[in-house]
Amino acid sequence: MKKRLQSKKRRSVPVPIASMGDIAFLLIIFFMVCSEVSKDKNMAVVLPLSEHVKQVKFVVVARIAVDEKGEIYFDGTRVDNAKDVEWGVRALLTNTISDDQRHVQFKCDSALPKETFEPVIKAIAAAGGIIEAVGELQQ
Amino acid sequence: MSRKRYSKEKKHRTGEIPTGSFSDIAFLLIIYFLVATTLVKVKSIAADLPSGEKATKSQSDKTPIVNLRGTEIFFNDKKVSVALLNDRLMKLDLAEKEPAKRVIMLESTKGTPYENYYQVLAAISAHQGVVAIVEDDK
Repeated sequence: MKKRLQSKKRRSVPVPIASMGDIAFLLIIFFMVCSEVSKDKNMAVVLPLSEHVKQVKFVVVARIAVDEKGEIYFDGTRVDNAKDVEWGVRALLTNTISDDQRHVQFKCDSALPKETFEPVIKAIAAAGGIIEAVGELQQ
Repeated sequence: MSRKRYSKEKKHRTGEIPTGSFSDIAFLLIIYFLVATTLVKVKSIAADLPSGEKATKSQSDKTPIVNLRGTEIFFNDKKVSVALLNDRLMKLDLAEKEPAKRVIMLESTKGTPYENYYQVLAAISAHQGVVAIVEDDK
């Protein structure tokens, strides 16, 4: 009985920690590759509400935003007018082969009048993009 | 004498990089990334607007039309609310029709806020309609 107990004491199982550093660094690389930096984080935009909004399933090729002042942004960079948006989207969509690659995110302030946002919507459509109009779920 | 000193100094310089704390550093970095990141789940509506030249003649008188006059919504010239518009669009059963017959015309007056425009666009897209924006006559 005593002998048995002694043998139990001897069993020291070493946890292999040599590869922990490698695993951790691989996890960091994974996070850095998968994450996407938000380019319009500080933009003043009040999103419109709708009961039909759904979570975006596609990867968007470009992000167009119109802030509360009516300034247009193409992937976080300010552009002068809707024509610039059309050329930009057109350039990005030249090598697309399927409809899934045509999605363009459109974010606009809910209070803006038609004269400001409609030319941008038309520009995206004219360039061949499918508009993913961002909004918030209406409860 | 000088030889002895030289050899002793050389022996001390083993030059091993301490890697023992690498895993700790890496895990601290992971924790930093996890704490600092904000997960944004963007919600949107998809609208594939057909692009093309303006038609000289209207396609058909039977094509449903949504008019946005400021904050008011009209469906085939009848004033409706967003809920009623949803109901009317549901009755059209657009999903069962061929793409060419799913077209809903969208006309808006100057000053129409994006909020209203968005709700109509969302309603049409949700019922599988194809939005055709009516151009203003200049």
